[in-house]
Amino acid sequence: MAEIQLENITKRFDDVVAVKDLNLEVKDGEFIVVVGPSGCGKSTTLRMISGLESVSEGTIRIGGVDVTGQEPSDRGIAMVFQNYALYPHMTAKRNMTFGMNSAGSFTDEEIEERAMSAAEILNITDLLDRKPGALSGGERQRVALGRAICRDPQVFLMDEPLSNLDAKLRVQMRAELAKLHDELGTTTVYVTHDQTEAMTLGDRVVVLDGGQLQQVDSPQRLYDFPENRFVAEFIGDPAMNMIAVDVADGTASHPAFTIPLPDADSLSVGSSVLGVRPEDLYLADEREATSPETFEATVSVTEPLGDSLLLHGQIEGHEFKIQAQPRRTITPGDTVELGYDPDRLHLFDRDTGEAIYHSDPAVSVTPPGVTQ
Amino acid sequence: MAKHDATERDAVDQYASGSFSDALPDNLWMHIGLIASIALMSLPIVLAAIMSTQSVSQIYEVTNLAPGGQGVDNYTRALFEHNLFAFMINSFIMAIAIVVGKIALSLLAALALVYYDFPYKNAVFVFVLFTLMLPVPVRIVPLFELMVNLDWINTMWAITVPYLASATAVFLFRQHFMAIPASMVEAAKLDNIGGIKFLIYVLIPMSKGMIAGVGVITYVYAWNQYLWPLAVINNEENQVLQVGLKSLEGTAAAGQIEWGLIMSGAIIALIPPLIVLVVLHKPLLETFGLQQK
Repeated sequence: MAEIQLENITKRFDDVVAVKDLNLEVKDGEFIVVVGPSGCGKSTTLRMISGLESVSEGTIRIGGVDVTGQEPSDRGIAMVFQNYALYPHMTAKRNMTFGMNSAGSFTDEEIEERAMSAAEILNITDLLDRKPGALSGGERQRVALGRAICRDPQVFLMDEPLSNLDAKLRVQMRAELAKLHDELGTTTVYVTHDQTEAMTLGDRVVVLDGGQLQQVDSPQRLYDFPENRFVAEFIGDPAMNMIAVDVADGTASHPAFTIPLPDADSLSVGSSVLGVRPEDLYLADEREATSPETFEATVSVTEPLGDSLLLHGQIEGHEFKIQAQPRRTITPGDTVELGYDPDRLHLFDRDTGEAIYHSDPAVSVTPPGVTQ
Repeated sequence: MAKHDATERDAVDQYASGSFSDALPDNLWMHIGLIASIALMSLPIVLAAIMSTQSVSQIYEVTNLAPGGQGVDNYTRALFEHNLFAFMINSFIMAIAIVVGKIALSLLAALALVYYDFPYKNAVFVFVLFTLMLPVPVRIVPLFELMVNLDWINTMWAITVPYLASATAVFLFRQHFMAIPASMVEAAKLDNIGGIKFLIYVLIPMSKGMIAGVGVITYVYAWNQYLWPLAVINNEENQVLQVGLKSLEGTAAAGQIEWGLIMSGAIIALIPPLIVLVVLHKPLLETFGLQQK
């Protein structure tokens, strides 16, 4: 087990900058998830840690040792690939143990012992003699994990290991991965494009976009206090509603409404963007009003999700998503009365997208020009 | 909508008409064509097989197409009296050496071309392909001189080494290796598995079909070599079967060419590559991306 430090990492492919000036510290034993849209540089980052990709600038340390120029096999890492990378002509066991002789100083008995204990942890003892072709997707995934576990690395690197599985199996394997990490306690860097995976698995989540670090935080803080508009819109499904407003004297005004921003009496930042999550909007008749005022919106689309009813509402030509309670008879064209949670408002700079203000009392971002 | 109706009506009409041609299989003409071309192509072999059992006088009766009674005699004479058995062993050694050598060399070349980074890699590959334009018959004069200088005339070296480098095999293996997922190579890299170990334990087992396919093509090609062995081997004990076959032509009984003997030699020369082809036809078809239903 070891901590990982990335210092000013940059990766260029010809004239394309894939990762730009990335600084990140992964603590010993931590499960960190790197998430972002495709092409954001998350896989490149992982591959640079593994050594499969060289670093254009910057330093990588694993366990305090500078490994920037080291061969992948010298870094004490094990990687799980998206397509499992199992050799089709070898049995599961041989797949797990193949190469252990070249990698380090394992004796044959040691290899046997490690393979068996990894197989026991993963519950695949019965499958060891089968070839990948005779295994299901989930079983192959386990064998690939077994291969990593066998090597007892300092760091696990996982590159979208669940994306080839069907939805149900993915949820199951997700829970197993979390359990596995609790058991082994190995430092893990996990790359995914799936924000649900990121939120459920990560001790901390790293959000990348365009090769740049957007935010590193615990899943809940990432959700509650996004540092910029990208994080706010990327994390959370359905995505946060964004409305252009004008902010003066602690009040956000839009042609259709004005919303007083709690505890921000003197906030005057001019035109900015107000963010409200769909679940922080509600139909006025569903709860006791928490907002000082309500608005009328026209429903354009209804999406029953089972556990909730997602409404697309229009206020003066602006579309909102509202998460209402399920089993309501609301049809497109209806007019509904909306309330909002005044503690869950976010304000972002219109140009830079930086967060200016979160109305949650536990706010971490200090709004500029606000005397609290 | 109207158009749709019309099509439907047409379809119904076609069913109702019930003409004679409807009773025949749809691809009747294709079947006739295929049968005719198979007959045409196999005719020389069938005739050769029949003639190889006939006596000289039976052969000269042009209309006599029944198998004759001299088969055993013709075959034993060709094999032992005219040394075809010894030639066959030479051909066999030559073909196996070429198959093994060519596959080994091409695998290594493809390994380098796919998994190693070196300057002008693509240019090297194009250069390898360029050698396709210079087959052995084109190089025959300088090659002969080289053999003389190396003192390889009349040796097995002379009829095997010039065939070992093969652009076709390198090309086929390279394409096949490129289709193997990169993550498998990366998994090996993480374990510090070297190129040769990766080739032996991963690439070769994963390319069995391709190797067998290239093996079949190469075997047949090597077995059928005539011109180069004729030029470079000039004593009988080292000669190969295809050249040896030619020597049967000189035999004559009572002034008549012994076609029975020649045809039995031809059939003997045909059988080994045929066996290889039949045994390994599946990987051969896979090599060319064909599916057998």
